[in-house]
Amino acid sequence: MIDFSSIVTAVDCFLESAMPHQLAIVVKCILAAVCALVAYLSFAILMIYMERKVCASFQCRLGPTRVGKWGLLQVFSDVFKMIIKEIIEIKDSDRILYNLAPFLVVMSSIITFSCLPFARGLQVLDFNIGIFFIMAASSFGILGILLAGWSSSNKFSMIGAMRSGGQMISYELSMGLSILTLVVLSGTMQISEITEMQTKGWFIFRGHIPAVIAFIIYLIAGNAETNRAPFDLPEAESELTAGFHTEYSGMGFGFFYVAEFMNMFIIAGIATTIFLGGWAPLYIPGLEGFNHAMCYIPGSIWFIGKTLFIVWVLMWIRWTFPRLRIDQVLVLEWKFLVPIGLINLLIMTICVVMGWTF
Amino acid sequence: MKFEDTYIGTVFYTAKSLLTGLKVTLKEFFTRKVTEQYPENRKTLQISERHRARLVMPHDAEGNNRCIACGLCSMACPNGTISITTKSVTDEESGKSKKVLVEYSYDLGSCMFCQLCVNACPKNAIEFSNEFENAVFDRRKLVLRLNR
Amino acid sequence: MTEMEVKFIELDEFRNAMQRERERGMDFLREIVGMDWGEEGLGAIYILENSNTRENTEIGVRTTEREKPQIPTVSDIWQVAELYEREVFDFFGIEFTGHHDLRRLFLRNDWVGHPLRKDYDASETLNPVRLESEPAEEFQREYDIQDDKEMAKIVEKLKILHYDQFIINIGPQHPATHGVLHFHLALEGEEVRKVDIRCGYIHRGIEKMCESRTYPQILPFCDRLDYLSAHQNRHAVCMCIEKALGLELTDRTQYIRTIMDELQRIDSHLLMYSCMAMDMGAITGFIYGFREREKILDIMEEVTGGRLIQNYYVIGGVQADITANFARKVKEYCNDQKMRIKEYYDLFVNNVIFRNRSIGVGVLTREDAISFGATGGTGRASGWACDVRKRYPYAMYDKVEFKEILHTDGDCYARLLVRLEEILESIHIIEQLIDNIPEGEYKVKTKPIIKLPEGRFSASVEGTRGEFGVFIESHGDKSPYRLKFRPTGLPLIAAAHKIMKRCKIADLITIGASLDYVIPDIDR
Repeated sequence: MIDFSSIVTAVDCFLESAMPHQLAIVVKCILAAVCALVAYLSFAILMIYMERKVCASFQCRLGPTRVGKWGLLQVFSDVFKMIIKEIIEIKDSDRILYNLAPFLVVMSSIITFSCLPFARGLQVLDFNIGIFFIMAASSFGILGILLAGWSSSNKFSMIGAMRSGGQMISYELSMGLSILTLVVLSGTMQISEITEMQTKGWFIFRGHIPAVIAFIIYLIAGNAETNRAPFDLPEAESELTAGFHTEYSGMGFGFFYVAEFMNMFIIAGIATTIFLGGWAPLYIPGLEGFNHAMCYIPGSIWFIGKTLFIVWVLMWIRWTFPRLRIDQVLVLEWKFLVPIGLINLLIMTICVVMGWTF
Repeated sequence: MKFEDTYIGTVFYTAKSLLTGLKVTLKEFFTRKVTEQYPENRKTLQISERHRARLVMPHDAEGNNRCIACGLCSMACPNGTISITTKSVTDEESGKSKKVLVEYSYDLGSCMFCQLCVNACPKNAIEFSNEFENAVFDRRKLVLRLNR
Repeated sequence: MTEMEVKFIELDEFRNAMQRERERGMDFLREIVGMDWGEEGLGAIYILENSNTRENTEIGVRTTEREKPQIPTVSDIWQVAELYEREVFDFFGIEFTGHHDLRRLFLRNDWVGHPLRKDYDASETLNPVRLESEPAEEFQREYDIQDDKEMAKIVEKLKILHYDQFIINIGPQHPATHGVLHFHLALEGEEVRKVDIRCGYIHRGIEKMCESRTYPQILPFCDRLDYLSAHQNRHAVCMCIEKALGLELTDRTQYIRTIMDELQRIDSHLLMYSCMAMDMGAITGFIYGFREREKILDIMEEVTGGRLIQNYYVIGGVQADITANFARKVKEYCNDQKMRIKEYYDLFVNNVIFRNRSIGVGVLTREDAISFGATGGTGRASGWACDVRKRYPYAMYDKVEFKEILHTDGDCYARLLVRLEEILESIHIIEQLIDNIPEGEYKVKTKPIIKLPEGRFSASVEGTRGEFGVFIESHGDKSPYRLKFRPTGLPLIAAAHKIMKRCKIADLITIGASLDYVIPDIDR
């Protein structure tokens, strides 16, 4: 199995030897940022293409087929179109906040994205409170959405933003609870360590029932966090036309769009990391030959494969269910997910204390 | 109280109904797709014979049509889509004067395809054809001359 | 019910007489036909029905005053009259004393004149094409009933919406209004406090146009009213004219018409299911519904040559005979559709999210449904047996066996269920007829120029979203003196007004989708 940390260390040594220490740090930061951005954009493009094709398949359609073979160039042409579109200045809008909002949303999603461990050592940010940091970073995307709705001086946007605020702040809670359940199981918040522990069995198997419940709660809450159907109330197109981003055009809209898709990827990525073993291959105790064979598949393939599978499940859900109403969204959260999550946390704690995990 | 109304019952009932829905879409995920790829499928495209896409005046091999310039079609039209220019020609054999069609002008842009003109025609000189690709960039191009 | 006997009542007696009629059990106001009889004055004909005994009366009232004609309102007796009277006011300028919100319904507020009056000046200098948006009316105009016969006057100005509330416009351009309808809403948070529904964005003056067209020329307009029940609309007009002429149709025509009507009904109900799914955010459900609808459209296209604008029924028969493989295709389709319906239930109708969003939402009681005249699926979901196919059987409906679907809940869920179950009933009707279409002519000969005898004629059919009626007053010419369509959508809008109050924005969309109105039918 390739250990990316050796490559990273090699680059690090080379830079340190070639230039003074301060300059080396600056160059390293820039390199890391460029790598993260490139990865971010390429995944965004992959996700948008995948969404269109998967959605089409669920609906008995073909999806894009015209631009390029199998419509492969469709997303690129969409991006090109969005870049050349005029950014419309809205009358009576709060100019600064209006322009700032999309960047906030994208920023939060890029920071969270850099925490994902794609393979052993292939991760931009890794420190001892990694999970905690992810949750903190992902939650300030709400701010961008609220600002977008507030500043664009449109009543539909306003309602959308308010719905989004109520919904996302609520669902943060049960998302935190389900992650916490797994932190109890692993005993650490450092992402690299969590993944390392799962090379000897994924947490969803080792934590059995409470882990599965936490996983389901996490998926529901994660879906709500990304504002996707059945929780797409903030942009509910049949009610609020486009919700909080009604007034955005060109790349302003593009940022929201990309961030939405990447948030889905990130949600799936985190689920992979803490429930499905991250880059760790499938490990079944007792079958040494099988485990050995699994190790030949590179970790990054494992990670991306598992993540895309969860993304597919999220799309499957999105293209099946009708939208909830705002009061039902809150009832689901406060009457079902939170109590169940709390009890589940307790069960997990008992399991860990009594040693009933694998 | 039924089980479905209890707290636990709601959870199970919800899960069951959601899974049923997921099953339906998963099945459709693998069924044959129904998209029709127009215009790639022009060769296999079936447009029914009775489809009314535009009014035409059939001409025989010598380029004659059956129109007698009676004007019934333009009178039947609720929209004033058809206008007919005629001239009087004296028939050399009988010496009677007879109306002859000069121009049969038809405005596709204001036609509502009600078929009253075709029904009114005593000679079956006009009919609807199913060539439906009539899009143009200028309204004026929709005013067609039907006779040759 | 073809030839109508109108009982005229003196203006002074009118209100008391109407109240007596209501107390007598005439609870369903089918329509108010505004009339301009020229010399004899302006007036209106009220067509009433007893929803239990199916007894009908037609009551007329007229006033010779032309400058400021006034008739007492009945909007407090039948709720639907509120909108009907606004329509009559709009077209004829008749002021209904006691009506609490007498604004124009379809035309702009700054429109000059009342177009359906016979002395209306249609010159373009009076009403040029105005390019600026109309000034929004802020106030309701209320006319008081005065005991002494003085001119009633505007007594009070009530604000339609209070501008300290959070006001948003749903429509006229909005994804969920299915056309150009305009909901003017006052909100409190997510809750709707007051709804003001504005119509007329696609008003084409079809009734006015009909007065200057010959009878065959009227028919193409019918496809363009409620475009999802094009066949039924034409059926009503053809039936009305045929009965007035005393034409006997062949059995083959009746069979074909019944089958086509039912196919159209399935088509429309599928669209209703699909759009409801889409409005609720289940876009996949929408695509599945449209996939099946496409098959009906293909069948229709083969026979009628049209997909939306069918243009099939003509006076005395149908435009063309059915094609050779029509029966085979319809049977194939019916079998397929019966299987697909189950999929709709699994995917959408039984889905817990949808059930929670629609059960108990937008409840229309039976009394309200009758008072609003909300016929069709909406009325039947409230438990009102209002199916014209059962009330006044026409074509083949008295010879086939079918159930009238009734639900009692009156909520959005019941309204959807009624439609889905009616699809199965329609298939049942088609299956009884499709193998037994008798041989014969598909059209009887008519005179080249059709003139109706003098008199008042009416006919109604069960359109896909309610009772579609036609009223013709003929003075013996080749075009009608007055032609009135009973819109299926206007009563629904009137009812929507009431049941949308105090609901959430999301519920408003659900209710709108479940009422299943079609805007060109409302606006005409």
